[in-house]
Amino acid sequence: MIEARGVQKWYPNGFHALRGVDLSVSKGEVVVIMGPSGSGKSTFIRTFNALEEFQEGSISVDGIALSNDLRNIDAIRCDTGMVFQQFNLFPHLTVLENLSLAPVVVRKRRRSEVETQAMALLERVGIAEQASKYPGQLSGGQQQRVAIARSLCMEPRILLFDEPTSALDPEMVGEVLEVMRGLAADGMTMVVVTHEMGFAREVAHRVVLMSEGQIVEEAAPETFFTNPQHERSRQFLAQIL
Amino acid sequence: MTSIQPGPESGTNPPLRPARPAPESVQPSWAGALRQELFASRTDGLVSVLLIMVILAAVAGLMRWALAQAQWAVIQTNTSLFAIGRYPVQQQWRLWLLVVLVAALSGVSWGLLRAFPRADRSGEIWPFNDRLAVALLGFLAAWLPAALALGLPLQLRWWLITALLVTMRWLAGHWGRSLPSRLVKLVPLSWPLLYLLGMILIAGGLGFPRVPPSEWGGLLLTLLMASFAILLSFPIGVVVALGRRSSLPLLRWSSVLYIEFIRGAPLITLLFLGQNILGYMLPGGWAPDRVWRAAWVLTFFCGAYLAEAVRAGLSAVPPGQLEAARSLGLSMPLALQRVVLPQALRIALPAAVGQFISLLQDTTLLSLIGLLDLLGTARTVMANPEFLGKNAEVYLTLAVLFWCCCAALGLGSRALERRLDPTHSPV
Repeated sequence: MIEARGVQKWYPNGFHALRGVDLSVSKGEVVVIMGPSGSGKSTFIRTFNALEEFQEGSISVDGIALSNDLRNIDAIRCDTGMVFQQFNLFPHLTVLENLSLAPVVVRKRRRSEVETQAMALLERVGIAEQASKYPGQLSGGQQQRVAIARSLCMEPRILLFDEPTSALDPEMVGEVLEVMRGLAADGMTMVVVTHEMGFAREVAHRVVLMSEGQIVEEAAPETFFTNPQHERSRQFLAQIL
Repeated sequence: MTSIQPGPESGTNPPLRPARPAPESVQPSWAGALRQELFASRTDGLVSVLLIMVILAAVAGLMRWALAQAQWAVIQTNTSLFAIGRYPVQQQWRLWLLVVLVAALSGVSWGLLRAFPRADRSGEIWPFNDRLAVALLGFLAAWLPAALALGLPLQLRWWLITALLVTMRWLAGHWGRSLPSRLVKLVPLSWPLLYLLGMILIAGGLGFPRVPPSEWGGLLLTLLMASFAILLSFPIGVVVALGRRSSLPLLRWSSVLYIEFIRGAPLITLLFLGQNILGYMLPGGWAPDRVWRAAWVLTFFCGAYLAEAVRAGLSAVPPGQLEAARSLGLSMPLALQRVVLPQALRIALPAAVGQFISLLQDTTLLSLIGLLDLLGTARTVMANPEFLGKNAEVYLTLAVLFWCCCAALGLGSRALERRLDPTHSPV
């Protein structure tokens, strides 16, 4: 589903953020990307739906090559859901309107039909009773679940998660991870940047460790956590465990 | 994951303290609040008493002058001149029609803004302040036409117009909620439409005989200039603010150039400059005479300041909002229109209305370039030998008129701000 080959990125200030990253994600796979802050993991995941540009290398998502062609980018974005650390719900719209906005204005679907689907999704993430509230009236965990439902409402083939639980109070992390577990069990293709060891161990098919803009280790979770091959992986695990 | 369920031994823990009602000092009664506010300590009480005495003395002095010494004949004789200038008598029914339409639409807007504060919450239909406002309006409608010594037919018209305003407020308050939201969304749009209709009614055209701008004057000209500039500066402000943040260098530089040029010069200079050069800069027919040239200068002036207000609003919207919208597949124009601008404009609203209020006051500068706006009319009236030395009466009237207009703008914007606030909480 995602093929990244030799991706290189420099920030305008000259910082070499991605230094030749290769990653392929197949359909139905859950890949967790870990790494210390500043290692480029968020930047990398954001190149998949062109929120970040890159200078060299190639990325194709769902068979569409990422290029500067705007139509390609919009097509990829419609098929690629993204969940942000800060939720980024639209505060001036109700929960239901947050979900139905993009399907109605981008996919041009009928509002009534979209709202039925949106209610079903809210049911699935466990907050159907909050549909007419505004995001500011919800807890962080509820907001993040709305954000996941909002992405799902576009019926994406891939979901990207950029540290989805890092901005949450500890007691709300569980409810969000629960929703993500359910998605993985349903066979959704997911790339997740996270520090949640439990989630990675239990749900991921593959764990990727990034450091200084490159991938240093790529392994199945049991191998990664019990028998890391690379010195940097051992250091990283020692720091967070 | 971490569990917050109580463990099995929690049954032995002492019960938690229940909530108690707040003490009197947190939620004081009306009289208690007054005592706390004004007479908390000896110094507080002294300052309060002194200030109350000063205010009472000033008000008493003003009232004594206004009721006993002032000669209001200067206002009573020239009421029509102050209101509409030298607008031809046989065409004045067009202005009355416009006043009726404005009153009706104001009533509807007022009802929709105040009678149901939120879409998801049933609000009070007549909040206390609104009842107060209706009482004030009723008093004004009864007293003002009489004080101005208008004829009975004219007095009757004002009573009917006030009654229409309050009736529309009542109707919109009671049944606005059951209207489909599509229809409610038409109300903000109907103001620019009413403005267009108003322009046709005032200026003529479409079968109405023309009334040239040189015959407009007084409050009519002031409000016309201000509303023209407010309506047209809004799109200018939004476009220039977006241009200033654009990634296209030429667009960005020209926006900056425009804003800095306008903000670097006093309005009066621009007004004089506009009288001389706007004829060359705008397409022929846009600014055929002094009034329209002044109107365009006011518009471009206000647009530059408004652009800065909108830019502040745009900067206050977190970049994540645009990213989220784009990652859902919304194109840039759609993301701006549906996600970024609604938030930015709500944030910019107080600053923008402040700008509109000062624009309304700045219209008095039009008198300096020889237009007969409120101040210009006042100056001609005071120059009339019949009313020599009646400056205080005239200026006080002007001040009160401007104050009323600005207060209406401010109240309307605050109601709008609350109406647009998604959570109804101070941001």
